[in-house]
Amino acid sequence: MSRSDHFDAIVAGGGHNGLTAACYMARAGMRVLVVEKNDWLGGAAVSRELHAGWTYSNCSYVCSLLRPEVVRDLDLPQHGLQVIPYTGGATFTRDGDYFAYHSDHRALEREIARLSPRDVEGYERFSIAVMRQCRFIRPLLLRTPPDPVAPRPRDVAELVYLLRRFHDLGPRETGEAMRFWTASVGDYLDGFIENPLIKAHLAGSGIIGTGLGVYSPGTAYVLLHHYMGDVDGAVGAWGFARGGMGAVSGALARAFRAAGGEVVTCSGVERILVENGRVTGVALANGDTYRAPVVASGMDVKRTFLGHVEAQHLPDDFLKAVRRFKIRGSSGKINIALDAMPRFPAAPEDASFLSGDLHVSESLAELERAYDDWSVGRWSAEPYVDMLIPSRIDPTMAPPGKHMMTVFVQYAPYDPERDGRRDPAHWDEAARTAFADAVLDRIERVSPGFRDLVLHAEVRTPVDLEREVGLTEGNIFQGELTFDQLLFNRPVPGYADYRTPVKGLYLVGSSAHPGGGVMAAPGANAAREILRDARRLDRTERAFRAA
Amino acid sequence: MAFDHNRRPRAVVIGAGVNGLAAAATLAARGVDVTVVERGRGPGGMMTGAGQGELGHFVWNLHPAALAELGLGAADLGLGAEVATVLLAADGRHVVIEGEAISFADGTPHPDAAAYRALRARLARFAAVLAPLATAAPPRLGSGMLNRAGLSDLAQLARTGLGLRRLPRDARREFLRVLLSNAADLVRDELPDGPLAASLVFDAILGGRAAPGAPGTVLALLWRHAGGGRRRPAGGMAALARRIAGAAEARGVTIRYDATAAGIEVEGDRVRGLRLGSGEVIAAEMVLSSLGAMPTLRLAGPAHFDAEACRRIRGLRCEGTTARLDLRLAEMPRIEGLDGRLAGARLLLAPSVAAIEAACRPVKYGAIPASPVAEVLIEPGDGGAEGPAHLSALVQHVPYAPECGWTEAAREALAAAVIGALGTHMPGLPGLVTESRLATPRDIETMTGAPGGHWHHAELAADQMLTLRPVNGMARYASSLPGLWFCGAGAHPGGDITGLPGRNAALAAAADLGQGVTR
Repeated sequence: MSRSDHFDAIVAGGGHNGLTAACYMARAGMRVLVVEKNDWLGGAAVSRELHAGWTYSNCSYVCSLLRPEVVRDLDLPQHGLQVIPYTGGATFTRDGDYFAYHSDHRALEREIARLSPRDVEGYERFSIAVMRQCRFIRPLLLRTPPDPVAPRPRDVAELVYLLRRFHDLGPRETGEAMRFWTASVGDYLDGFIENPLIKAHLAGSGIIGTGLGVYSPGTAYVLLHHYMGDVDGAVGAWGFARGGMGAVSGALARAFRAAGGEVVTCSGVERILVENGRVTGVALANGDTYRAPVVASGMDVKRTFLGHVEAQHLPDDFLKAVRRFKIRGSSGKINIALDAMPRFPAAPEDASFLSGDLHVSESLAELERAYDDWSVGRWSAEPYVDMLIPSRIDPTMAPPGKHMMTVFVQYAPYDPERDGRRDPAHWDEAARTAFADAVLDRIERVSPGFRDLVLHAEVRTPVDLEREVGLTEGNIFQGELTFDQLLFNRPVPGYADYRTPVKGLYLVGSSAHPGGGVMAAPGANAAREILRDARRLDRTERAFRAA
Repeated sequence: MAFDHNRRPRAVVIGAGVNGLAAAATLAARGVDVTVVERGRGPGGMMTGAGQGELGHFVWNLHPAALAELGLGAADLGLGAEVATVLLAADGRHVVIEGEAISFADGTPHPDAAAYRALRARLARFAAVLAPLATAAPPRLGSGMLNRAGLSDLAQLARTGLGLRRLPRDARREFLRVLLSNAADLVRDELPDGPLAASLVFDAILGGRAAPGAPGTVLALLWRHAGGGRRRPAGGMAALARRIAGAAEARGVTIRYDATAAGIEVEGDRVRGLRLGSGEVIAAEMVLSSLGAMPTLRLAGPAHFDAEACRRIRGLRCEGTTARLDLRLAEMPRIEGLDGRLAGARLLLAPSVAAIEAACRPVKYGAIPASPVAEVLIEPGDGGAEGPAHLSALVQHVPYAPECGWTEAAREALAAAVIGALGTHMPGLPGLVTESRLATPRDIETMTGAPGGHWHHAELAADQMLTLRPVNGMARYASSLPGLWFCGAGAHPGGDITGLPGRNAALAAAADLGQGVTR
C-alpha cells in the first residue's frame, strides 16, 4: 500500500461540521482526508444551480448560529465568507394585515403597539428573559458536555464550572432557566404576550426542524436554539451568506485546502474499517481504501453505526441506544425561481421586512393543527412556512430583476400514511405535487399572483434530504433536540464527548452536542477532543521511546 | 415575632381534602391549635367531590409519612388487596394483570409479559431514586444553597444522589436520559404498541393534559410508580375520607363543614386570620390553604403579592381534562371470557398508545373526544338505592371549556362516546343504563373548588414541578405573604391522594413558628 493512502485522519462526510473538524486537524499539522459521496462539498450547507441562472441554498438557508469563534479561528472571511445581515421579518394574515418583526428595537416597539399596546411591556420582559437564557447557554455550545455518571477529573472540573454558573445565576434565575428548558414555546409565550399573531410569529422558531408542536414541552428551548444567532457580533441577528449557504462550506473547504487538506468526492464511505476495537481506515463505495488511525464521521449517529460499522465491533447496549435515538423527519422545502418580486399587498411598498423571513401562520392553534397532521402521517394542510427571498439583498442569487425564494415547510412526514400504512415510498410524484400545492396555495393567499411567477420549483421532502444529503429520515438536526437527547445524553449517554466505543472513531456531526443548525460547534468541539487524544498518544509514544 | 407562651399558636387550614387534613394533623401533633374550614358537607375534597360522592377510584400512593402524622397505619385504612387490571383490547383479546401475572383473558400467557415486568421494575427502581424528593420541600437552587438553611437541602439532594449512586452505572445513565423524556417513546422502545404498552402510558397521562409523546410525561409516570399497587378502600373514597378526618380529629383538630372561606385577614403585611362567608373571623397566626394558588391569591387579595408573583400564578396551567361518568345499571354487564373477574377490577379502555394519542388531540381545540380513553370500575350494587350495578368511568382529555359550551347536547355526546366505546366490549351495555350522571372538569371545579377542576390542581408537567410548583419563588410552601402557606395538590410534590403536600407544608409552617411550638 502506498504512502498516499495513509492519513493521520479521515473525515467521513464533507458537511460543514466535517469540514470544520478537518480544518482544525489540518491546521494542527495532521494529514487529513475528507471523503464525500456527492460531487460537491457542504452536506446541507450548499448552493446549487438547479435552474440556469439561479443559485439555490437548497437545504439550509440562513446563517445565524455559525459560531463566531470558529469563523475567527479558521479565518473564514479571508476565505470568502461574507454574511449580510437582514433586519426583520413578518407574518401575514388572511385578512390583509401583518405583524412585522424589526431588529431595531424602537421600530419593533411601535409595531407591537400598533397591534396590541398591552404587549409592548410583555415583549420587553420576554426579550430580556430569552436573552438571559441565551447568555447562560451560549458558552456551553463550545464545551464538551461532562459525564455526570462516571466522571473523570476533567468531567468534575466541567461539572464544577456548570454548578458555578448556576450559582451565579441565583435561585430565581435558576428556577427560570429550569422552566425555560422544560416549557413548551406556546405556554412560555402565553406568559408574556396576548396577541395571537405576535405569538404565532415568535413561536415558529420553536418548532423548526423538530417533531414537536408549539404546545409540546421542550420547544421553548428549541426557540432559544434559533435565538442564539450571532452575525458580526450582533447577538440574535440573522443573515444570508453571500452566494448562498454553499459559501459557508466553500470558505471552510478553501481554509481546509489552504492548510494542506485533501478531498475525495463522488464516492462515499461504504465501510469504516475496525480491527481489534480500533479504527484503521475507510473503504469507499468505489472500492478504494484509505488508512488512518483516526476517522471522524460527520454522518449522524444512526447512519454511522447502523450503516457503516459492522455490528460485531460494537457493544450491544450501545447499538440498542443508537437504534433508540430519535431522529424524525418533520420538514420539507421548496426552492423557487421567480420571474419577478412577488407582491404582498398587505405590506407597504418596499418594506424592509420583505428581505427577511415571511410567514403565514396566524395563531398557535393553527401551528398546533399543522403538527397534528404530521403526527398522523400527513403533511400539514396549513403548514408553517418560513419564506425568504435572499436575492433581494444578494444579487448573486438570481439574474437581474428575477428572484430566488426558499420556502422551509413544517411539517412534512418522512413516511406518509396511506391506507393505514406508513412508508417513505408513499412520496411518489402525486404526493410531492399535492404537498407543493398545499404550500404554494398558502403563499398565494397572501401574495396573489405568486404561482404565475414560478419559473422552476424544486420540491424537497424528508426522503430527498435523506437520499441526497444522507440525513436519516431527513431530520435537519441529525436527531431531535429533546432533553433526552441534549447535553450529556447526546447522542448516546456515556458517549457525549465525541468518542465512540471504537477507538479512534469520533462523531463530529450534529448528532453530537450541541446539535443541529449550521453552527460548526460539534465539528470544532470534536476536533478539540481528537487533538487532545492525539497529543496524549504523542506523549505516550515519546515516553516509550525515551524508556 | 413574639409569642404568648400561655396560648397555643393557632392555625386555620382551608379545605378538608386529604392534604388539608394531613396538614392539620401535622400541626396539631406539634401543639398547634388547628381549625379546618371546609365549604362542603363532608371531608375528602377531590376524593369525594367535597362530600358529594367520589371522584377517584383507587388509592395508590397515599404516603406512609403523611399517614404517620395522622396517627394511621396502613391497616387502619380499610384498603383491600391490590386490584387486578383488565385491559380491553380492540381485537377482543383482553389482557389481565394481577400482580406479576400477565395473561390473556382466556388464560394464555402474554408474549410481552417479561418485557413489561422488566420495564415496570426499571420504573420502580427509578421512582425509588426520586422518592426522597417527595417528602420535603423542593431543594433551593443556585446561591440559595450556600447558607445554613440550604445545608438541609444539600442533604436531601445528597440522599437523592446516593439513591442514584446505588444504581448500576448503566441504569444511572438510563435514569438521566429518560427523566425528562416522554412516556410514549419510553414504552414503545420496549413493548409493541397494544393494550399492555397503553396501560403504562395511561398511568403517565391520567389526570393531566399532556399527550403521551410530550417530553416530561415520564416524570409523571415515575411519581405514580413511587407508591404501591392500586387499592380500593372498603366503602369507597367517602369512607376513606371519613377515616382520615376522624384521625385528624383524634389529633385534636377541629373541622367545620359548610364553612366557606371568604377572605384572608391581613394586618401589617402578616396573616391574622380567616374570614368566613358568615362574616365570622377566626384569628390565627397562619393560614394554610389547600386550594389552588389562584383561589388562594384571590382570598388574600392580589395587593399582597408583587406583580411578578401574580403573573406567574395567573399563568399556571390548571384546566382539568378528566371527567367522571357514573352509570346506574340494571344488571352487571358481561364481557366474554371475563365474567366473574369484572367486579371491582380496574378496566382500562385504552387499546393502544396510538389510540391515547388520538384521544388527546380534540381537547387542544376545545372539542369533545369521539373515542375517549378511560379507567372504568364496575361494582355490584347493594340492591338498594345504588341499584343492581354501578359503573363509573374516569374519562381522559375532556375539555374544561368546550368550544360549544357544556350544553346538554355536549354532555350527552360525551356520555354516548364512552358508553359506545365500552359497548363494543360489553354488548347490550347501552340498554342496561338506567341513570347517567356526568361530572365535567367544570362541574368538578364547582363541586370542589379545584382550579379548572384539575385532578392535580395544576398540570403536573416538568415546568410546574419541584422548585417551580406552584410557581418559581414560592415552591417551599410559603407564599410571599408571611403566614400564608400553600398546602394543597398545587404545591410540591403535586396531586393524587398522597397527603404529602399537606404534611410537608405543615412541617415548613411549624418550623417557621420556631420555638413557639411545644411538642
